[in-house]
Amino acid sequence: MNRRPKISTIQGRLHGRSERHSLWAIVVCFLFLGSDARCALSQTANWENSIVTLDATRKQYDHFQPWTRRLQSRKKAGLVLDGKEILTTADEMFDRTLVRIQKHGRGKWFIGDVSWIDYHANLAIVTTKEAGFWEDLEPVQLPSRHAVSETMQIVRWREGRLESRKVEYSQFTVDTGDLSFVPRILLELSSEIQGTGWGEPVISGGKVLGLAVQHTGNKITALPTSFIEPILGARRSGEYRGLGYFDFYWQATSNPQSLDYLKLEGEPRGAMVIEVPSRPGAPSVLRPKDIILRIDGFEIDTQGDYIDPDYGHLLLENLATRGKWAGDNVPMTISRGGDVMEIQYRLPKADFSTALVPDSTYDQEPEYFILGGLVFQPLNDPFLRGWGPDWKRRSPFRIYYFNNQSPTPEQPSLVLLSQVLPDVFNLGYHDLKYLVVDRVNGVKISNLRELSEAFKTPRAGFHVVEFMQSDSLRRLVLSTEDQAQATQRVLSRYGIPHDRHFAPPSSEQEAAAKN
Amino acid sequence: MLDHSIWPAHFCAVPKTSPDPSAITPLHERFLFSRIITGALFRSSRILLCLVLGLAIPPKSQADTTEPEKSVIHIMCFSQEPVWDAPWRFTSVRRGTGSGFVIEGKRIMTNAHVVSWDRQILVKRYQDPRQYIATVEFIAHDCDLAILRVEDERFFDGLEPLEFGELPKVRSTVVTYGYPAGGEQISYTRGVVSRIDINSYVHQGNRSFLGVQTDAAINPGNSGGPVIQDDRVVGVAFQGTPGLENTGFFIPHPVIQHFLIDIADGTYHGFPQAGIRLVATQNPAYRRFLGLPDNDSGARVDSLVEIPSTREVIREEDVILQIGPYPVGSDGTILYEGNRVFGAMAFQEAQHGESVSLKLWRDRKEIEVSLPVFHYDGDNEAGNQYGTPPRYFVYGGLIFTPLCMDYLKTFGRNWADAANAELVYEIFYRRHEDPQNTRPEPIVLADTLADPVNANFIIHRRALVDKVNGIRINSLDDVIRAFETATADQHVIEFIPHQGFECLDRNEAAQANNRILQTYSVPSDRRL
Repeated sequence: MNRRPKISTIQGRLHGRSERHSLWAIVVCFLFLGSDARCALSQTANWENSIVTLDATRKQYDHFQPWTRRLQSRKKAGLVLDGKEILTTADEMFDRTLVRIQKHGRGKWFIGDVSWIDYHANLAIVTTKEAGFWEDLEPVQLPSRHAVSETMQIVRWREGRLESRKVEYSQFTVDTGDLSFVPRILLELSSEIQGTGWGEPVISGGKVLGLAVQHTGNKITALPTSFIEPILGARRSGEYRGLGYFDFYWQATSNPQSLDYLKLEGEPRGAMVIEVPSRPGAPSVLRPKDIILRIDGFEIDTQGDYIDPDYGHLLLENLATRGKWAGDNVPMTISRGGDVMEIQYRLPKADFSTALVPDSTYDQEPEYFILGGLVFQPLNDPFLRGWGPDWKRRSPFRIYYFNNQSPTPEQPSLVLLSQVLPDVFNLGYHDLKYLVVDRVNGVKISNLRELSEAFKTPRAGFHVVEFMQSDSLRRLVLSTEDQAQATQRVLSRYGIPHDRHFAPPSSEQEAAAKN
Repeated sequence: MLDHSIWPAHFCAVPKTSPDPSAITPLHERFLFSRIITGALFRSSRILLCLVLGLAIPPKSQADTTEPEKSVIHIMCFSQEPVWDAPWRFTSVRRGTGSGFVIEGKRIMTNAHVVSWDRQILVKRYQDPRQYIATVEFIAHDCDLAILRVEDERFFDGLEPLEFGELPKVRSTVVTYGYPAGGEQISYTRGVVSRIDINSYVHQGNRSFLGVQTDAAINPGNSGGPVIQDDRVVGVAFQGTPGLENTGFFIPHPVIQHFLIDIADGTYHGFPQAGIRLVATQNPAYRRFLGLPDNDSGARVDSLVEIPSTREVIREEDVILQIGPYPVGSDGTILYEGNRVFGAMAFQEAQHGESVSLKLWRDRKEIEVSLPVFHYDGDNEAGNQYGTPPRYFVYGGLIFTPLCMDYLKTFGRNWADAANAELVYEIFYRRHEDPQNTRPEPIVLADTLADPVNANFIIHRRALVDKVNGIRINSLDDVIRAFETATADQHVIEFIPHQGFECLDRNEAAQANNRILQTYSVPSDRRL
């Protein structure tokens, strides 16, 4: 997965500069050091022992050839914490093969180990067992409360020196990140610096205010430490159960007619629930057309905002992650048909696998199954990202549209016939691709394990593969006579090491297998 | 957007209706050969000049059948298309030019796209400056053909109708006649017949018929002009592919003939559709599974469109061995006049309501059936719309109109990207995947005319309407009924997806209706 290619390119160019250019840059910088820069230098003087460089190498997959591997490396910033831990973001730490740590911006690389990672929170803890690493490093304390100032800096190691650039506060906002669908609070900043977004700390005085997670143009987005610290605290105490989120859809109530219709008395306020997805085994306490008036003690206004004591107006979605974890009850006051009532909303755990088309498959090699040249793969967003940075527009509409559809007990996930590797066995099917498998030999298919099992029970010497009813092919038939030879022939001809790779079975699949 | 190669075009016996740019947005992939000139000053000065000269020079009255150009007509069409998201309005008048030719019965044949949405049609004869008023007598948007009448009988004085020839042979030479861009005089271009195949006819956008590709230059303005071989018309020039060199297309005689027979009773019905998705049977295992002989015969019925008359006769997994007189190959093609073309061609030879005899392979034996075929309009909204201005209903400033391709195109060039995905799904996929829940006429809230009564609406445009006042909306008539029979204090309008909704005060809306219509110069609250 190639994320943020523009930023990567800029960073690559900076790191690739010759020594001569670096010297010129230093001279020029020195000549033009103004008061801001001198202030920046003084501010960063104590950070050299608290910020380290991380180098993460990971496997990069080509989801159109899921059996192939490439490597990609990314330099990031890490922050030394108490307990011989280094805090960084989870970005680019998935599918990792090696993590190295370097202190003081130069010298020996130490071998690191990711001891904890949470992709929904976009946080990771790296440590090392190598002797001597922790000497002369100074842990920092993360403030648990919000703090921004007019003299904020973003700091990183660059070509052996600690670079510090001024950043300006723009706003606090609530949005999803690159790694997860869970909305959380984000700190938006602007700066002239280029190529950040890889865990660089935003500092003010002696405090860390956040870790940069995204950089577009002059806009830097950071995870505030006031979001990070409670998670780390809960992790230390063993109470962290992952992030939860509000799984209902809601609509602002700026149209007073809608509030009249819903019989809400008093001043216009609250957010209207419009759709509540079904939760297997745990029906939601909310219903469509409920008006949420208060969440966790905070009044909800007609825009769906509440007034946060630290950040001011924020979207109500933030109340799912504001010191709450998955499984926690969030008290809500709602109006239902004009009756005001108190409810306890249990936060569902953020889990990529619950979507019909999972957003991500971190730390999981791409699954595939090949039979006689027909390549079957699960439909997920990593597959769709194969269409490049503009994948949401460029991927085939119909298979992308499954993102707008919900899983059902009968169809919790989808399997695609993604392509056909031409062979005499599959003559007549060479051009087929991106077809959603409905049944194989009469058995409903939701994942590759079911698919491979279904291929074990052919019908009178034939496999019958049925595809989802749409405007494309409905059915194909394969012979069982020479399928094994055909599969081996295809693997050999196309240089594919194995005919399948399945993810470890989920707990639900294991339970089903036992039954 | 949708990857064309998901399903090879030659596999489908019914037109693919997904958002395929080549099939649906003709101007992106292909272009139609009428010229559009929009400069008002240029337009008015030219018209004035032509009128004056037309009075001074009488038309020639002699015709010579060895000079087909004398029967080739220069057509100027002043047209106005509806504004699909403000459906009571029309675009500014556009002047397009195309070509046509005189046929039997004192009529002019041209392309449908030359005279679509016409307000006035002027026709000129060869080397005759005088302009005559013409009207559309028949128009066939599916096959892009039209017949014009000229009120002034003198127009045809001395003009001999051109006669039609047969389907030309590949590699034979043809000459196009017409009035393309680049000058005012008639233009001739010569080329060879490069290929004969089933082509997408981009005017309507979701139909494919027999088409002939030629390397004779065909340019904007050639549209509707005759393609001639041995002094006979073998086709009507109609479209090209900008990305490819020396590729113009003309409508061949079999399609023209079908059109002329269709209108003989005074009504155009349209080409029939069998509604059969026919696929190849080239995989040996599938042939054995079906018990088919080991040869190259027969194409399998993979699925059927919801056409009851076809479902009564044909089953999925039937193998069609022969359509009418044409044996069907294992790749789904027939041999037609020496060209292998997709089998759908054979169904298109029948007229609306006629039956086609089929030889089928069913349950491992051969049977013969007779399949009645009819014109199919169940996918009209997925093609370009012509002729009838959009239906609409305005209430409380909310503009409701049927969802169609032309409405989606108001979102801009990348309509399929920018559009609400629900709208794209509804128009192209719902009837295939979820026929039980398909709405006969899906309705969108196209836009909102701002007024205090709707000032606080959050959902105010580009939203698919699910219900109004609890009534499921299957057509515009349902919208009107839901508003006009309501008795509650608020109207409730619910949308797809996620059941977002808006409420409108019933009394305030009733009072606001006339005000809003007047403010925005909407002549009527509805067009039905």
